[in-house]
Amino acid sequence: MARLNLQLQFAHSPILRYGLAATSFAIALGLALLAQRYSFRNMEVALFLFAIAVTVWYAGIWPAILAVVLSSLAFNYFFTEPRYSLYVTNSELPHYAVFLLFALLLIWFSAVRRRVEQQLLQSRDELQREVVKRTEQASLLNLTHDTIFVRDMSDIISYWNRGAEELYGWRAQEAVGKHSHELLQTDFPIPIEEVRAELLHTGRWEGELRKTKADGSRVVVASRWSLRQNDGGRAVAILETNNDITEHKRREQDIQNLNQELAKRSTELESINRELETFAYSVSHDLRAPLRHMAGYAEMLQKKSSSVVDEKSNHYMAMILDSAKRMGNLIDDLLVFSRIGRAEPQKTLVSLAHLVREAITEVREDTEGRNIDWKIGALPDFYGDRSMLRLVVVNLISNAIKFTRTRTQAQIEIGYCEGNRNDLVVFVRDNGVGFDMKYVNKLFGVFQRLHPSDAFEGTGIGLATVQRIIHRHGGKVWAEGLVDSGATFYFSAPKPQGDLWQP
Amino acid sequence: MATMNKLARILMVEDDPRDVELTLTALEEYNLANEVIVTRDGEQALDYLYYRGEYKTRSSGNPAVMLLDLKLPKVDGLEVLKQIKSDGELRMIPVVVLTSSKEEKDMVASYKLGVNAYVVKPVDFHEFVNAIKELGVFWAVINEPPPGSVRK
Repeated sequence: MARLNLQLQFAHSPILRYGLAATSFAIALGLALLAQRYSFRNMEVALFLFAIAVTVWYAGIWPAILAVVLSSLAFNYFFTEPRYSLYVTNSELPHYAVFLLFALLLIWFSAVRRRVEQQLLQSRDELQREVVKRTEQASLLNLTHDTIFVRDMSDIISYWNRGAEELYGWRAQEAVGKHSHELLQTDFPIPIEEVRAELLHTGRWEGELRKTKADGSRVVVASRWSLRQNDGGRAVAILETNNDITEHKRREQDIQNLNQELAKRSTELESINRELETFAYSVSHDLRAPLRHMAGYAEMLQKKSSSVVDEKSNHYMAMILDSAKRMGNLIDDLLVFSRIGRAEPQKTLVSLAHLVREAITEVREDTEGRNIDWKIGALPDFYGDRSMLRLVVVNLISNAIKFTRTRTQAQIEIGYCEGNRNDLVVFVRDNGVGFDMKYVNKLFGVFQRLHPSDAFEGTGIGLATVQRIIHRHGGKVWAEGLVDSGATFYFSAPKPQGDLWQP
Repeated sequence: MATMNKLARILMVEDDPRDVELTLTALEEYNLANEVIVTRDGEQALDYLYYRGEYKTRSSGNPAVMLLDLKLPKVDGLEVLKQIKSDGELRMIPVVVLTSSKEEKDMVASYKLGVNAYVVKPVDFHEFVNAIKELGVFWAVINEPPPGSVRK
């Protein structure tokens, strides 16, 4: 390279080029005159031709032509008769012609040879640069974790990067030269002819392939193929990039299995729900009918015989009627409870203040003749199912009324307090008979009662229904109480989002 | 009321004999049971209305009101209701569903089919008698039935 640069510089500077012509001519002339002096004959032609040859080689055609002209003149002046004159005799003309022809031939040969050499050097240089570039690219391909390999059009592997070594377990020197589909036992999802057709048509193909590693294990890869064409547009190689998606596929399969399992479970659940609904329906219909008949016939009996039977018998009949009525209430409450478990809450923004007013109106019958001091604070809006929330409020308020029955001055307070950041907490507090905190866990169970039913009537389903509704709204219920010192029932629910919330 | 010589024919569709007895007792108590036709399932009720089967030769005229239970053998109450309300001749007959079931589903279905009233039989006999009495008085006495109804 250094040599080439020197030569090009030399050739590019006109002073040096023509200087070389003049110098080599001068040296040739000097030597020729010296040879003549010491009677060596006919050296001059060879020396001039040598000077011309040197000039054409190192300085190019035009300096060489200068050297030819100078040589011709010097030859004529110093070495032909009459000497020291530029006069040319006819007999010497063929000499000149031959000299000139020979010189020009020399120039032409040299010029051609020089051009060829320069082209060769240039090509070698380009080739070197290309090699450097390719080496860099190849080492870049080795840096990536992606699996990349190149194969020719008959699927013989010609390049195999480090990613390919890592994924498949064959080293580059083992893989290169092998048939790629045979080495990797590739499974195609569609016929390979179709893959090839698409590749040749669009220049690329991508899809999922199953391949085998050196250790025999199978992998699923996302494979992308690109066609490499030469300058003439002929397909010469295929570059294939593979990404191992085995784990991804396995997870996908897992998710699919889980989804199927979930779908199965939810179908089961649906059918159980349907059965439950049918069950509730028949409870509603078929249990109530005989109960109604019992009550009906007992009452008719009572009417017909009350005057003829004794007091005890009348009491028995009254108990039958009372029991039938209680069972009717139980069935009704149980149905409500079961319906809340099945129905999806239809949520809207509900004004609790409104619900409380409604509830107090609804229980008016139970408050007649009672002395109740109502303390109703500001109440927030709730996001929930109106009819369900109404049931909550009615249940809690009628509980408070019921358990303050023994008080001459009953106090019932309804208000709300801040829960944690996202919750609203509403409470209903009374000064009634209260309860022992020991049994607080039993309060919200179905059919759980903390008082004998002749003291405080009830089915034992009301608070269970309250709990179920609040749970379905994403909230909690709890209670605090002290025997003979009143009770407070709390329920919480998530605050409505944004500005909807207001106390 | 009992003296009002204006009693209408009531068609009762009820499969339970005890319910039939209790209902009739309630109607009797207020002398509203002059003409109560009792059919025991949906098919029989439709036979009555269409003069089919055992009712082929019955006296003509539609009932002034129909008391319909929902849970019935053969053809259930909702199906009977559907057929009546989709028949140009019969659709004018007032139909009162009288059922044990408080299921909202049944109530909605009945109203969608065009029922005129929906009554849940109370467990308490007093309330039951009151309900039947009021139904009888309203539909058989106060209400003007559509033309073609039998009224004595």
